[in-house]
Amino acid sequence: MSHGAADPTMHPEVQMSTSKGYFLGFAISAFLMLVATFLVTSHSVPPFGLLMVISVCAGIAVIAQIYFLLHIDISEHNIWNTVALVLFIPLFLITIGLTWWMFSQLYLRTMDMSAMSRMNMGTAVHSTANPSSSSMENMPNMHMTADAAQ
Amino acid sequence: MSSHASKVDPKKAELWDTHHHSHDVISTRTLGYFLYLLSDGMLFATLFAAYGVLSYQHSYFGGPTPADFVKPWYTFAQTIALFLSVLSYGFAMNALKHKNKSGLINGMLAAFVLGVLFLILDIHDMSHLAALGITIATSGGMSAFIVLTQVHAAHIFFGLIWILVMMTQVMVKGFTEEVVGRLLTLRMFWHLQAIIWVFVYVFVYLWGYIS
Repeated sequence: MSHGAADPTMHPEVQMSTSKGYFLGFAISAFLMLVATFLVTSHSVPPFGLLMVISVCAGIAVIAQIYFLLHIDISEHNIWNTVALVLFIPLFLITIGLTWWMFSQLYLRTMDMSAMSRMNMGTAVHSTANPSSSSMENMPNMHMTADAAQ
Repeated sequence: MSSHASKVDPKKAELWDTHHHSHDVISTRTLGYFLYLLSDGMLFATLFAAYGVLSYQHSYFGGPTPADFVKPWYTFAQTIALFLSVLSYGFAMNALKHKNKSGLINGMLAAFVLGVLFLILDIHDMSHLAALGITIATSGGMSAFIVLTQVHAAHIFFGLIWILVMMTQVMVKGFTEEVVGRLLTLRMFWHLQAIIWVFVYVFVYLWGYIS
């Protein structure tokens, strides 16, 4: 990390900026989000396959942004940012994954999902919370099959 | 610094180094700020986990789910506004590289305007939900949905204030070591919001829409 301290704009973290890199990060992630949105709205792929495809889109978009926007690479100047990020990723995934797994097992062992659904549909506890039918025109019955997708 | 530790007299030894070392202030601060941003990522991990366990059908208590009200193309417009804001900030940092002050200010101004657009779209979306009677109190699932999306919006709000502050500092103080360091940490903060948004958009909005 040797550089002239006299002019802060000559610092390597300033000098590593390139318009091309920022534009690539934008273009790749925007294109992938466009693909994901198009697939989701076209209803052409079954739900589980759709989840896989949009997850891959999100994964590539995030990697492109981390590389092109945050400049995470293995250069001498950035290596500690990269190490910190690489060690952070398992913590992030374990926090979400283990919490989700614990609760999904809990629900599985303590709740009768089908009885729950019937109860909820029968009693309009939150009748004021239900949006008007015009706002539900997209997929009016999808909430009844939500637990099947989980 | 003695090279022979055995000859050091403990009563006279200097326990600290009195020599001045040149120190990379900017790199030290950006690494520290990056570690802070990763802990901010853990905040989002807990909110994603909460949304994950509260997005089952029974979590919505028979009320509306994201599949009932999410409009993918509307939220896609939000996505593009945020990505363009991040791109503008990137171009501003490229202007900093060439010591182009007006280019930097213009890029930051564009980033600010696009960030405001993102926030207006988000507030309009939330007030639309409120008009339908969907609030944070509707169900556990809606609490998790609204808290996660609005914590991200709060990050954008504070980032916008920070952009205004840095535009002022650039104009008043110029490219000092402190100002350049803060522009770099703001760059990390702003770009990280786009990365978090990819997760929010795909796994909360789009997945909620198809569930």
